Amino acid sequence: MQFQLNHIVPTPLKDIFSQRQSDIWNKDITFFKEEYIKIKAPSGTGKTTFIHILYKLRHDFEGHVLYDSINIADIQKDELAIIRQQKISIIFQDLRLFPNLTAAENIELKRVMQTPIYEKNIIHEMAEKLGIVHILKQKAGLCSYGEQQRIAIIRALVQPFDWLLMDEPFSHLDEQNTHKAALLIAEECAKRKAGFIITDLDEDNHFNYTKKLLL
Amino acid sequence: MFYQLLQKIIRTASGRTRFVMAIIGLSIALLLIFSAVQIEINYNELLHGKTNQDSIANFLVINKLLNSKSYGTTTLSNNEIKNLQQQPFIDAVGILTPSRYKSSIQSYSDRFPFFTEISFESVPATFIDVTTKDWQWNEQNNYIPMIAPNMFLDFYNFQFSLSQNLPQLTQEVVKMIVFKVNITTATGVITFNGKIVGFSDRITSLLVPQEFMDWANQHYGSSQNTQPSRAVIRTKDPGNPLLVGYLKEHNLTTDADKTRFSKYRQIVNAIVNISWITGAVMLLFALLIFTLFIQLTIASCKDEIQLLITLGASPKQLKLFLLKQFFPSNIIIVVIALISVAALQYILHDFLLQQNIFVSSYISAYTVLTALLVITVLWVTNHRTISTYISLHNK
Repeated sequence: MQFQLNHIVPTPLKDIFSQRQSDIWNKDITFFKEEYIKIKAPSGTGKTTFIHILYKLRHDFEGHVLYDSINIADIQKDELAIIRQQKISIIFQDLRLFPNLTAAENIELKRVMQTPIYEKNIIHEMAEKLGIVHILKQKAGLCSYGEQQRIAIIRALVQPFDWLLMDEPFSHLDEQNTHKAALLIAEECAKRKAGFIITDLDEDNHFNYTKKLLL
Repeated sequence: MFYQLLQKIIRTASGRTRFVMAIIGLSIALLLIFSAVQIEINYNELLHGKTNQDSIANFLVINKLLNSKSYGTTTLSNNEIKNLQQQPFIDAVGILTPSRYKSSIQSYSDRFPFFTEISFESVPATFIDVTTKDWQWNEQNNYIPMIAPNMFLDFYNFQFSLSQNLPQLTQEVVKMIVFKVNITTATGVITFNGKIVGFSDRITSLLVPQEFMDWANQHYGSSQNTQPSRAVIRTKDPGNPLLVGYLKEHNLTTDADKTRFSKYRQIVNAIVNISWITGAVMLLFALLIFTLFIQLTIASCKDEIQLLITLGASPKQLKLFLLKQFFPSNIIIVVIALISVAALQYILHDFLLQQNIFVSSYISAYTVLTALLVITVLWVTNHRTISTYISLHNK
């Protein structure tokens, strides 16, 4: 699967973006399969907006986004659900966990939402790699942001996908934990021959990026 | 597993009291509706069922009302008969042919000295409820088959025999007796043998086969008054107000006793209607409360539902999950209501059997059909409400 962007500009920010230089806004651009794309931008320049537009959470933009040459405006709700279960996984900046479910249940939800590709023990294995085994049975709402972020990362990795969208996925992690998480993400993407799009504030060398863009 | 997690996320526990209220309301509503259907079916079974003698009510013998105005003009014209046949509430009209000669009937035995003057009537065979192979006549027959009204035998057994010091007779004994039937003609008395082959409540006169009646009238009858004056009609519903109105309007009268069913009918109708309407209104309210309950549950979990859809849960999955949460309780209620009505029916069967009234011990197929219909309505309501409110939170 590939993303194709045809001159997209978010409507609320139209005036600001028309005056600024950007590699993405109001450009024709295609993200090919297996690409590792880094999108760098300072705060308030629309990173989350961009990720949400790609994930079809926001509709307030001009231009077109195409999944494999299908305009996402034409995709129906049930088809969109299948795409989110099979093709596109996401790590939200605001994490979006169910606070009343345990960490393990939050991850399990995404594993069994479609036909599972992993056995249940994958949750424990990944949690071990990221050092959060001890909070698996704890309610997500009671976990620290750092822990929640790692739960959200694992949750995004237990499902099948062609693309992984990450919106500042390491914002609450220290260097060591970021390194561990990046390793796991790279490993899982390689297993699936999947690509990813990651947004961040700064330069980094967490992955071998194929494309670096300025928003 | 997915559903177990959904159960933790979308909690249906909020508003339990409303749910219990809706369940109680629905149960009573269904009990009333199913009972209404079953009562209606039972009543129809009593009216039309073969096991009940009440089928006489569907056959009415009618004639002109005899009073000072109609005196001497009580025959039914061809037009009047045709008109009767055309009424939608009358299924069939049969002409009662009276004998147009003098006749008498007596016993051969001295031990049983019985004699009475009598006249016969005949009616097309389709109007007779006695089925016997003996009910036919031709000139080679050595006896005339006859059907007597039950009331003749009752009159004999409980009045006449006592006053005359004669033995009481059962139906079986009467059927064995050979009577002497005398017909007075212009040239003298001609004698036939006669036998009672059956008893009926439908027509209160001594019936002979139509073939004999036609033959005897032609040979011995006077040619005056060949126009019929009585007819028997078959109707599905003798209590039909249209029928009663028609008869009154055309100065016709019938056996008043049979119209007692129209009174029963009114009572049963009233009960059935009250039950229906109350049941329907309650069902409507129960459906409303159910709808509100589903709406409330979805509204109270709207953030969770939104997040689930964001994460990739399909609206289809959520609808199916919610249907599985709400719909089974509805099916259970319908089944319980149906079982309750079935139990009541069984008790009613036993109770009425003691009074020699027969109703089926099982509920009717129509009641079960009604239950299926109610399940369909409930399913549609559940499904529509869930679909509407899921898509409302999935924009």
